Amino acid sequence: MPVSGVVVSCVQDRAEHVAALISAMDGVEVHGTLPDGQIVAVVEADTVHDEVAIVSRLHDVDGVVTVRMAYHNFEDEA
Amino acid sequence: MELSRRDFLKASAAAAAFAAAGAPLLRPTDAEAAEAGIKWGKAPCRFCGTGCGVLVGVKDGRIVATKGDPAAPVNKGLNCIKGYFLSKVLYGKDRLTKPLIRKGDKMVEASWDEAMTLIASKFKESIAKHGPDSVAIYGSGQWTVFEGYAASKLFKGGIGTNNVEPNARLCMASAVTGFMTTFASDEPMGCYDDLDLGDTYFLWGANMAECHPILFSRMIDNRLKNPKVKIIDFGTRRTRTSQMADQYVKFVPQTDLALLNAIAHVIVKENLYDEGFIKKHVVFKKGKENIGYGLEDNFKFADDPKPITFDEYKKFLEPYTPEYASKLSGVPAAKIVELARLYADKGRKVNSLWTMGFNQHVRGTWVNNLVYNVHLLTGKISRPGENPMSLTGQPSACGTAREVGTFTHRLPADMVVTNPDHRAKTEKIWGIPAGTIPAKPTYNTVEMFRALDRGDIKVLWSQVTNPFQSMPNLNRYRKGARKGDGRFVIVSDIYPTKSTEVADVILPSASWVEKEGMFGNAERRTQQWFKLVDAPGEAKSDLWQTMELARRLGYGSLFPYKYVEKEMFEEYRKFGEGQGKDMAPYEVYTKARGLRWPVVNGKETLWRYAEGYDPYVKQGEGIKFYKNKKDDGRAVIWARPYEPAAEAPDKSYPFWLCTGRVLEHWHTGTMTGRVPELKRAYPAAVCEMHPDDARKLGIKHLQKVKISSRRGTIILPVDLNGRGKAEKGNVFVAFFDETKLINELCIDAYCPISGEPDFKKCAVKVEKA
Repeated sequence: MPVSGVVVSCVQDRAEHVAALISAMDGVEVHGTLPDGQIVAVVEADTVHDEVAIVSRLHDVDGVVTVRMAYHNFEDEA
Repeated sequence: MELSRRDFLKASAAAAAFAAAGAPLLRPTDAEAAEAGIKWGKAPCRFCGTGCGVLVGVKDGRIVATKGDPAAPVNKGLNCIKGYFLSKVLYGKDRLTKPLIRKGDKMVEASWDEAMTLIASKFKESIAKHGPDSVAIYGSGQWTVFEGYAASKLFKGGIGTNNVEPNARLCMASAVTGFMTTFASDEPMGCYDDLDLGDTYFLWGANMAECHPILFSRMIDNRLKNPKVKIIDFGTRRTRTSQMADQYVKFVPQTDLALLNAIAHVIVKENLYDEGFIKKHVVFKKGKENIGYGLEDNFKFADDPKPITFDEYKKFLEPYTPEYASKLSGVPAAKIVELARLYADKGRKVNSLWTMGFNQHVRGTWVNNLVYNVHLLTGKISRPGENPMSLTGQPSACGTAREVGTFTHRLPADMVVTNPDHRAKTEKIWGIPAGTIPAKPTYNTVEMFRALDRGDIKVLWSQVTNPFQSMPNLNRYRKGARKGDGRFVIVSDIYPTKSTEVADVILPSASWVEKEGMFGNAERRTQQWFKLVDAPGEAKSDLWQTMELARRLGYGSLFPYKYVEKEMFEEYRKFGEGQGKDMAPYEVYTKARGLRWPVVNGKETLWRYAEGYDPYVKQGEGIKFYKNKKDDGRAVIWARPYEPAAEAPDKSYPFWLCTGRVLEHWHTGTMTGRVPELKRAYPAAVCEMHPDDARKLGIKHLQKVKISSRRGTIILPVDLNGRGKAEKGNVFVAFFDETKLINELCIDAYCPISGEPDFKKCAVKVEKA
């Protein structure tokens, strides 16, 4: 199962709201919200396909500005 | 056991994300244990021209993990969504692993020796019968520095033909001629640091949020910290970038020429220009007008620059009133005045950013000139945080196509084949007899494929790109390739593509970290990587392939290296030494996360032409455009008029068609299309259309429509509520989808100065399918 660490940046003052929304999504674990409005989350899924589908959905959450990936491990799938 | 290892991996992922977000946590030692056995190496990303640093994790000979490289200044530890597929693009099920030779309608496996023997015999036969200009090589900004250099050296310095062109001609050529005509030196003066340091950003038709997400994020991060930051998106289509901008200013295609002249008009009329800067650093010129569109085969154009005075330039601007520009563009006159004042605001650090909207333009050189005019009038250039910045779409459009000079007219370090001193210098460094390099450029890319269609070019080798999907007016060139009569097409690639379909020989290539390489990004940063994994099957690097042809044609002595990459680079960097294009020794790049040239005494240059940053600018000079020697170290403000597009909507074809990219796919989709997850995210091309236009035609969301131009027809579903939103009278289709070849509809009109075609403007009609 692939795992990735992502940084979600949000419209100012929306980070807490976005964090609550995305932590309810399957496969997303919010690990923290930084004072500057960035959210650190871990995404995991059965396949990279599903993982990317989750990241695409993160992009579309209202208040999300960008989703960037810091770390991606997929050795079980390789 | 499995569960705990998984928890460690998750901790590792979170720790990397925290560190990249600027909140370093202690890295859990458990996470390190989970990563045991993974060996990490650095590389620039394989996809766009941003040049993000990636750490590639290899275990048992396969890539199993990637990270944004925390030490990379470009992306500071974060990658965009395409980072998920960096390694997977190497592992698609249909990777080419053996050379294939056409036998009738079938492609049959062959040995490298058979394939190279056949290729060499075709080259020899064609050269003997029809001369060296009957053979050609076509590459791209995805060539590593070495691959482009080897191609240029073999063709220009060995075979003796200037038939060398890159996909960059379809992509960056207008940026090159813009830089050359204004500053006499290619590539930007500024760098990505301007995205952090500026406060005002004008985007001209650049959908950075989707096409350069990491650079867009840097600008957005800047805005989150600094409420003064303003982003203005000039566009012909509402995009994800427009949503994030402070202002979206829509305009009619092609009228950017009028808008920029109107902005200059207001700046001049209201005395908002920087007179001291202009006196010291600027000359004025005008060139030819009504310059044509390159639609006829063998079209030729030579500009005839004439000096003019500032007063004459002011006179030229007079007709470009905000009202006149408003009438053409649809932008309210008051808005033009407001934005001109914003450009000139002395309390603001202003940047302009653009990509294909300006470059893929029948007046691409002019519109590049015009944006420089505004920065030169206001003196907002070559200063930290305020610069015009041309972005690039391919990972080494700058490093290879432009700096190595893999165009028909170019040689390394901005030199050109038409200049006898440049040829002599090149022949000396290459150790070849004087007079080997022909003095005349042959064909730009469009003309090269026209020549293949006509049969003037017989043998064409395409490497690392996909011209038989990406050319405009595609039908003509796809048919031309298969006309027979001695035509022979070789395609080197990692997957089957629309180009391998028309090939006589297909060669399997090594990709990215399957070979040692170097790329140069859009901010002049040269980056190196080592080979980290083996290529599959018998695939070999394009560098090896080119040198192997050289050996078989008797030009093996052009490549006398033992450690090929290192020795080739040391030879190559002689071209830039002392020319303001200096690079460091190869070893330095093996450790650094890239360096921005000129690199003098081990120090990179952030802002060119600026005292204190650029070692070529002497103390007391402040700013010096020292590369433009013929104008005494000054830059040129050009009087360039508005002229219409090659083809505009009319009664029969009432819509503008614009093509472009989407976030999930890169270029023609041959790599990203291999990844099922990306295919799923954005599976097929759609036709973006304005709901009002659709209503008039009785077309519903996702209904299939037939889009036709005078050159071709395709059927696509309409998207009325997609990520991108077409303006009224416009439709947009992405070009990645090989089952829907939108480029068959595009016109092969090009900018007469740059030779770059206009993929953003032609006329189409839309009907229910």
